[in-house]
Amino acid sequence: MATITIDGKKIEFKSGQTIIQAAKDNGINIPHFCWHPKLSISGNCRVCLVEVAKMPKLVIACATLAADGMVVFTNSEKAVNARNAVMEFILINHPLDCPICDEAGECKLQEYAYDYSVGESRFKEEKQHKEKRVPLGPNVMFDGERCISCSRCIRFCDEIVKEPQLTFVQRGDRVTIVTYPGKELDNDYSLNVTDICPVGALTNRDFRFKSRVWEMSTTKSVCTGCSRGCNSDIWVRNNLILRITPRENEKVNSYWMCDHGRLNTFKNINQLETRINGAFIKEGLSHVPTEWESAYRKAANELKKYAKDEIAFIGSPFATNEDNYLLAKIAKNFGVSNLDFMRHENPAFGDDILKRNDITPNSFGAELAGIRPGKNGFALSEIIQKINDGKIKVVYLLEDDIAESNPEAAEAFAKLKLLIVHSVNFNKTTDLAHIIFGAAAYAEKNGTMINFEGRVQRIRPAVALATPDKSLDGQKLSRQDKFGTEYDSWAQKNIKDALPSWTILMNVAKELDFRLKYNIAEDIFLEMSKNIDALNGLNYNILGELGVPVKDSINQPLAKAL
Amino acid sequence: MEKIVLPEIKDYHLIDVYIKNGGYESAKKAFTFSTDEIIDQVKKSGLRGRGGAAFLAGLKWSFMPKSSDKPKYLCINGDESEPGSFKDRQIFEYNPHQLIEGILITAYAIQANTCYIYIRGEYHKWIKLLQKALDDAYSNGLVGEKMKDTFGIGFCTNIYIHKGAGAYICGEESSLMNSIEGQRGYPRVKPPFPAQNGLWGCPTTINNVETITNVPPIIKNGWEWFSKIGEPKHPGTILYGLSGHINKPGIYELPSGTLLTDLIYKYGGGVPGDKKVLCVIPGGSSMPPLRGDQIEGVKMDAESLKAYGTAIGTGGVIVMDEDTDLVKILARIAKFYYHESCGQCTPCREGTGWMLKILNRLVSGEGSVKDLDLLVSVANNIEGNTICALGEAAAWPVKFMITRFRDYFEKRVSSENILPVRNKVHSMRNTAISIDTEQN
Ligand SMILES: Cc1cc2nc3c(=O)[nH]c(=O)nc-3n(C[C@H](O)[C@H](O)[C@H](O)COP(=O)(O)O)c2cc1C
Ligand code: SF4
Ligand code: SF4
Ligand code: SF4
Repeated sequence: MATITIDGKKIEFKSGQTIIQAAKDNGINIPHFCWHPKLSISGNCRVCLVEVAKMPKLVIACATLAADGMVVFTNSEKAVNARNAVMEFILINHPLDCPICDEAGECKLQEYAYDYSVGESRFKEEKQHKEKRVPLGPNVMFDGERCISCSRCIRFCDEIVKEPQLTFVQRGDRVTIVTYPGKELDNDYSLNVTDICPVGALTNRDFRFKSRVWEMSTTKSVCTGCSRGCNSDIWVRNNLILRITPRENEKVNSYWMCDHGRLNTFKNINQLETRINGAFIKEGLSHVPTEWESAYRKAANELKKYAKDEIAFIGSPFATNEDNYLLAKIAKNFGVSNLDFMRHENPAFGDDILKRNDITPNSFGAELAGIRPGKNGFALSEIIQKINDGKIKVVYLLEDDIAESNPEAAEAFAKLKLLIVHSVNFNKTTDLAHIIFGAAAYAEKNGTMINFEGRVQRIRPAVALATPDKSLDGQKLSRQDKFGTEYDSWAQKNIKDALPSWTILMNVAKELDFRLKYNIAEDIFLEMSKNIDALNGLNYNILGELGVPVKDSINQPLAKAL
Repeated sequence: MEKIVLPEIKDYHLIDVYIKNGGYESAKKAFTFSTDEIIDQVKKSGLRGRGGAAFLAGLKWSFMPKSSDKPKYLCINGDESEPGSFKDRQIFEYNPHQLIEGILITAYAIQANTCYIYIRGEYHKWIKLLQKALDDAYSNGLVGEKMKDTFGIGFCTNIYIHKGAGAYICGEESSLMNSIEGQRGYPRVKPPFPAQNGLWGCPTTINNVETITNVPPIIKNGWEWFSKIGEPKHPGTILYGLSGHINKPGIYELPSGTLLTDLIYKYGGGVPGDKKVLCVIPGGSSMPPLRGDQIEGVKMDAESLKAYGTAIGTGGVIVMDEDTDLVKILARIAKFYYHESCGQCTPCREGTGWMLKILNRLVSGEGSVKDLDLLVSVANNIEGNTICALGEAAAWPVKFMITRFRDYFEKRVSSENILPVRNKVHSMRNTAISIDTEQN
């Protein structure tokens, strides 16, 4: 295979690759601002200038094709001088905003200024001034002075979203970014420009000034906005989720995520007023807080009062595989065969980039975990029918606000003798419930979900609950560190008292005399991997950070069936 | 001396007069040759580009792929925005048909069925004049579909005039193509070069107006004839533009290699008031300037000027007498490149402004000797590190003016100069705005 040598290191490259690509594939990072692996080459920042033996001038590594035997120097005197020069040029008009800039701490320009510039400016003139706070659209704010004119944001809109909304105007050091006349930066993926902007020129209006990045912890997770399951990072400070950013996974979402997933999948978790803290039992017209133990007992005792065919269990495409599996297992043990979950399709949501019409994260998993009618059992539409007929009197429901999304179900649920609900927030369905258990949100627990293509992916606790997850082994999340104050969530005891659905289910089962012994979510997953062919041989370690597909043989027919 | 590009024939710009004097005969002759033969003849003639870089025209044409399933294009560069250059407009005004004929021959040689003449936006008058000539050529069946019948060939080409919108950078060939495509006038990263990836991604050749106007006489009189005019390595005549402190400014068509002193004193009538020459820029404002005491014996062609550390550029000679304030001149030149930098790539975008700011300080007497070194360093940091040659165009005048006139510049700056604090502190700006408008 053909090779090039970069700073004395010989590496192989694929034909058609540029120097920077070949280097990247071999773990060598050639500094760059404007180049992005998923965008066209613009060659404007000039930071990647390198020396190539036998070439008279320095070349840009992003646009120069690798050729067999090429010898590249990124640290020769010429290359270093050019890079220093370019860094100096970028910095002369860059404002001294770092102390008030959201990007500080994760800024490519800061990093490179430390790594590659001389640390001193010869510029004594007044800097070029530009507009400092221009809302480009509903989600993104622009600061002209911080912009280094790399054109990544423009290329992203043109090439990835295919909705040209941004452009440069003016010339020279007056160049700046604007939206086209009469247009806004309002595409469904607009916030990705804040991730790829190498500096703090484009910021997330939802997150602006909420936190310095180094004060937050990040946890690898998966977006629950639809069945794509975009890999994400959850950013937490003071035990509150402040933002979600996409995490690269070429098999799922590349570098991107949609604005809906980024903005609308965490606020309900932070919301103290609507979060369900502990368990509640309906007394008269209101829900009264109850000890967890007595709620478990109450739920079991009430369930026992009804004949098995008067009961329906409803799983959830929002819950994890582990939660659904346990529900199915308990239903079977208890002899309930009316078992199903509700699908949430929104034909207006999907597109051909990432978004899917199935707006739940785990319908694939719910099905695979066994949430389907047992022998002579009924499916959801029939269950609703039977409730209206008075045949089914009890529903045990996991994490899904069915009353909100299905008015028919809402009417039917109102007729139930007993409605037990696990839920993260109070909602239309919990309004109708007789017993409510406060469920941990996806950002508060361990578990797995399977995306529409059959990829099994992990979620992890990013936010701490009153009862710590045993898998954390005593470790604290979002520590109450030296930045803490007496007004923070920890000192104020604003820590939510919710439990993962599988824990609640295990405790209810115990009261039904069905003893289960799982310490952590993975215990359930390991059992699933023994019992379910498609998951055979998998464990959390194997799933790792990027997930793995369910076994192909199983995947195909199932994917079709869905 | 024979005039090739601007013959002294009355009303030569009129199609009848042009045809009466043998116009469009060269095209007729060219169409009897194969395309390779034409390219070969132009190569042998030694014709070099008149747009700035003096690249061999025939060689450039030979880069065009012979077989391609894409359409091929010819662009004629009449953007002429370099300070000191005003030669192409003479052609538009006085010899438009020779340009059109040259385009027909070139288009045939590279098999381009579409040609664009890109003219700078400010040239309203010349756009009208050329459009008139083009209309006449069309109505005489010399261009477009009808030329098949007129010349009895299977080839035809259409010619369109494209008006620029007032940006110097659109004279840079790849920027020019973006501009024709309706894009922002940003130069492209090269390679790929226009012959592979030009207009709309198709093979394209770009030549200067004067370059192409030389083509019909070469075909008519043969390459040997042309190659013997002027300096052998840069043959032909050149349209020299004389401006600045000169008694008879204007365009002079003279053989390449004419002495710079002849240009100034013999043809240009010398410097007003018989003042001494302090500085001469030989090829348009972006070329390295020469000291007045350096110009003796300097010949005006690409190779000779190279030996003197400068370049022929567009042949626009700017003469400055001994009373000229070179600091002001340099600041003015820097302002031009600052104003015209497209802003795409970092060194030119930032460096042009930096140099201007320092020079403005020098002009107002706030410069120091250190600033001179800084200017040269900034210019060096731009040079060679940019996407297009505007970087060099901006860097060279600064770098060479200061190094070649170091003594002059040192006299103009104080050795010690303590600067007032120039960077206004952020908090001093009126940026505070109320919290409720700043929710986000
Ligand atoms: C900033 C810049 C401006 C230019 N402006 C012009 C111009 O106005 N006219 C021109 O013919 N060439 C101009 N050029 C040169 C062109 O890029 C190109 O080399 C030329 O048109 C080729 O024609 P030639 O080979 O016939 O000289 C410019 C180049 C640069 C870098
Ligand atoms: S963009 Fe980066 S370098 Fe610029 S102000 Fe923000 S943190 Fe500092
Ligand atoms: S706003 Fe950011 S991404 Fe867009 S051009 Fe400026 S620096 Fe680049
Ligand atoms: S060198 Fe100047 S004009 Fe040329 S691309 Fe770069 S910024 Fe634009």
